[in-house]
Amino acid sequence: MEEKYIICEDSLEGIFTAVYDAYALREKHEHIHLLTEEEDNYRLFAVYLHSQPDLVKTNKVIKTLRSRLGNEVYLALCQAAASFYADKAEAVYKTITDGITSGRGRRTMDDLKNPYVARTHELARRTANEAHKEIEFLRFGELEKGVLYAKIGPENNVMPFIMPHFADRLSPENFLIYDEKRNLFGVHPAGKEWYMVSDAAGAEACIETEPVWSDRELRYRGLFTLFHDAIAIDARRNTRLQQQMVPLRFQSYMVEFRSK
Amino acid sequence: MEIRIAPQMSLMDKLKILTDAARFDVSCSSSGSSRQNDGKGIGNTLAAGICHSFAADGRCISLLKILFTNECIYDCRYCINRRSNDVARASFTPDEVCELTMEFYRRNYIEGLFLSSGILYSPNYTMELICETVYRLRTLHRFQGYIHVKAIPGADPLLIQRAGYLADRMSVNLEMATAQGLREMAPNKHRSNILRPMRQIQNGIEQNRNEITLYKHAPRFCEAGQSTQMVIGALPESDYQIMSVAENLYDKFSLKRVYYSAFVNVNEDKDLPAPAAGPPLLREHRLYQADWLLRFYDFKVDELLTEKRPNFNLAIDPKADWAVRHLEQFPIEINRADYRSLLRIPGVGVKSARRIVAVRRFGSLTFEDLKRMGVVLKRALYFITCGGRMMYPTKLEEEYIVRNLAGQDPAGKGEKLFRMTDGTLYRQMSLADYGVQTYSQPTAGAAI
Repeated sequence: MEEKYIICEDSLEGIFTAVYDAYALREKHEHIHLLTEEEDNYRLFAVYLHSQPDLVKTNKVIKTLRSRLGNEVYLALCQAAASFYADKAEAVYKTITDGITSGRGRRTMDDLKNPYVARTHELARRTANEAHKEIEFLRFGELEKGVLYAKIGPENNVMPFIMPHFADRLSPENFLIYDEKRNLFGVHPAGKEWYMVSDAAGAEACIETEPVWSDRELRYRGLFTLFHDAIAIDARRNTRLQQQMVPLRFQSYMVEFRSK
Repeated sequence: MEIRIAPQMSLMDKLKILTDAARFDVSCSSSGSSRQNDGKGIGNTLAAGICHSFAADGRCISLLKILFTNECIYDCRYCINRRSNDVARASFTPDEVCELTMEFYRRNYIEGLFLSSGILYSPNYTMELICETVYRLRTLHRFQGYIHVKAIPGADPLLIQRAGYLADRMSVNLEMATAQGLREMAPNKHRSNILRPMRQIQNGIEQNRNEITLYKHAPRFCEAGQSTQMVIGALPESDYQIMSVAENLYDKFSLKRVYYSAFVNVNEDKDLPAPAAGPPLLREHRLYQADWLLRFYDFKVDELLTEKRPNFNLAIDPKADWAVRHLEQFPIEINRADYRSLLRIPGVGVKSARRIVAVRRFGSLTFEDLKRMGVVLKRALYFITCGGRMMYPTKLEEEYIVRNLAGQDPAGKGEKLFRMTDGTLYRQMSLADYGVQTYSQPTAGAAI
């Protein structure tokens, strides 16, 4: 039996569409594999198929996942699909087939003896952890007209997981989060629903330059940096521990570390 | 109310002084309260709490931790703000605290406010100032984030009640583990004055829980519970005394958290210990580990320590220490043991124990599976079997296991092991480690 490789777009929609296409082949799942990017070296005796993201197929897959596997498993699958590791599509796909054929439903993610489920679990955990780190360490600055603006550079695509948190917390505020690694904006107009904008035209140009901050912005940055320095107890100084808790890749986005 | 505040000073200077003055307060988590935004103001709270930054000492910054004022009529020996100290004094106005909280919160710098205070004029006056500040924050600014306030011992119960309806968490500092210690260190404070508001808050929370069952929208009273803190290592109390007090506080006062703060001799008091190696951080760490064992692992203090063995072994953590002294209960079979026994295995935490129970329904577990689930095998391997087999052939022998475990404990590294007179291989902590002389010790937990 020849192996089939489905190459799909690196997005939630792309992966779920490919899962739909894989099922549509009506062949044994162990001979079908999902990839999110072209391979450097093509395999012998393998067929490569391409899958285009499709909203209708994606929604069908989502509906099935939620009803057959439950919302918790669905969330874990979404988190795993947002990971930056290349094997995520395969792990998500095989987890879905495992959950549906075994009939474990809501307990699908408990089957950690299955290597694909364990991998999905691992990827989902990493994305969730990074999303939590961004919720902790993201720093807003106030632009001229009172709009809050934050720049982040996460490894995984955490935007869909952090926006609901900030939209609830800062519901009367206009704010904007920019993921500079993916050129992706999360936008929240005051009192309205949030949404995401990707590849906005001309966005890069305005991001390159330092935004125009409001008059009060520097004052509060100064106050917080002062607070941050004054709260430490000298006799307990432990910068290694500090760095372990706030990895350097987050520090470069945080006002209290940037000024040093 | 009339607010009498010291002369003009810039907000920058005030923040510097009053942050400096607040940094020794440790109970600063933002957990225990879960509230969604109502669309009318900013803020929400998460049950797990959020840390927003970490200071140079590695401790988390979750709340804007400040004193309202560092002027104080008391003269506690361990405190940097005591009356007899010559330090710069400052006081915020309620509006300044509100401004700082709101602007920091919008920028995601903090999770909320932690407001404590020195005693300005009288406990009542101070408590009133705190209430006023928090009231403005909640009503004028419609702030829905986390607020933690101190209940000032000796303040009117009505004021404490008022604060409780505005704050998520309240705390009264126990300061010292024993009543005698408190008398010695804080001549103006009395144990009964501390326990009274603690009891009041406990009763308030319980009553409020009943109200909420009846009326879903009843106002919340200290939703995130109450906490307290103790200074560790200023007086020669044993770990057994400290942990017994903590256990009593959890059982009899329904506290959410007890915090331990390694004593730093800020006042350079000649009669108090000033160990050359710095504050007793490792001891503090072991106390926190034991505290977790009490709250999440179903341990009792009497299992961990006894009158005869009143201090923790600094070289290995309290759970491993317990396990090596109870080898008759090991090895435990992972595929069969109940949840409570799983929790007692060193290297297995609450999460891995839960996962083990869930996953083994689908088939028996191997060491490889355990590793993937997050069990720390290098600690657990001495105590478990999978399918009747141990991971490696190892000796189930106290001395052998202690030596191996001590080598890998990141915190205990460098602690020397030596043989005690009874033949056990332990690093026993003595009071001399903290540079203090022994004197008669009151019995543990006698005051509570």
